[in-house]
Amino acid sequence: MGGAYPRARLAGFFALLLHSCSFKPQTLVVGLQPVHFDQWKRELASLKGNVVVVDVWATWCIPCRERFPHIVDLNHRYQNRGVIVVSMCVDDREDKRAVEAARQFLLDQHAAFRNYFMDENILDVFEKMGVQGIPAVFIYDRVGRQRYFLNADDPNHQFTTKDVDDAVAALVSEPAKM
Amino acid sequence: MTFRIFERTLAFLVLVAGIPLLFGGRYNKVVQIGMAAPSFENLPATDGRSYSMSNFKEDVLVVVFLANHCPWVRGNDPDLIKLANDYKSKSVRVIAIGVNLRQDDILPAMKERATKSGYNFIYLHDATQQIGRRYGATHTPEYFVLNKERKIVYTGLLTNSPAVAEYNGSVHYTRGAPKQFYVRDAIDASLAGKPVPAAETSAQGCTVEYEH
Repeated sequence: MGGAYPRARLAGFFALLLHSCSFKPQTLVVGLQPVHFDQWKRELASLKGNVVVVDVWATWCIPCRERFPHIVDLNHRYQNRGVIVVSMCVDDREDKRAVEAARQFLLDQHAAFRNYFMDENILDVFEKMGVQGIPAVFIYDRVGRQRYFLNADDPNHQFTTKDVDDAVAALVSEPAKM
Repeated sequence: MTFRIFERTLAFLVLVAGIPLLFGGRYNKVVQIGMAAPSFENLPATDGRSYSMSNFKEDVLVVVFLANHCPWVRGNDPDLIKLANDYKSKSVRVIAIGVNLRQDDILPAMKERATKSGYNFIYLHDATQQIGRRYGATHTPEYFVLNKERKIVYTGLLTNSPAVAEYNGSVHYTRGAPKQFYVRDAIDASLAGKPVPAAETSAQGCTVEYEH
């Protein structure tokens, strides 16, 4: 039956299969999904019903890389408790080696969750996401409302990994609403 | 009655819309445009000497926060060097400051960078990080232009198109060739005693890491 398909289509099918596997939180396949901002908003909306943690990072951001293992650990702790952890890479899309380095970093980190790459001009990305700098973590409650925007934009109140833990714990303990 | 409404509307506009225009503070969480610039005392420089803000007598000071490790700083280096060079015959002084505490961002590494990249400006390090906190500097590079009265007249980006050094070392202007030269405009306006056109922009680059 496989012979009825042109080779390219078959290859495309397997690529898609592999690609979709990368979205299953418990699989070890790590993907990097390019999205435009509008697609990203739709992806985010589709996650409603869960507490969603979005870690915004880039390979050039050393604090982001240093904090990333905490995000992986957070995923391990909460993946069966109604929390979806997502990473959003904002490396410069013009720099192909940076994008490849991002992919390798996620593999090395065993980032077995949804990993997106914002495929837009880097300054547009910051503007559209309302981010001044990274690392930054957005946290949404089960009804899809943004409840936390943790960032490092104030030198006297830069967020810590404990702030992320506390925020997630608070949202998880909230009663489910419809 | 009509006049009272007009008066109230005007007061509202001045209060709500006027404050950000007059004092900035849209992006920077600590300083506002028009504020007296925080000064520094005896910070060590890459040239082996120590400097205080009072050492600099020029009419305009450009204070820029840098970090060696940051690709946005490496991308910015050629334009910063050109800026310092272009204004060397005028009463303008560029002062770069590092406040990160990572090994590759502290003084020995800064000296190496200053030599290798041909920095033609003072490059200070503040191991207490206090000067960065007082300026509200959270990105590198992040620029502050100070006028003759040492008031902050501009904070933010060098131009509308920040440059970043790519993995292969080439420089990429994120919005193409720069079209708006915020720091140069602020310097020129200050030298001429005129208001600065753009008072505040959102600095982009690496995040400054402050010890908690």
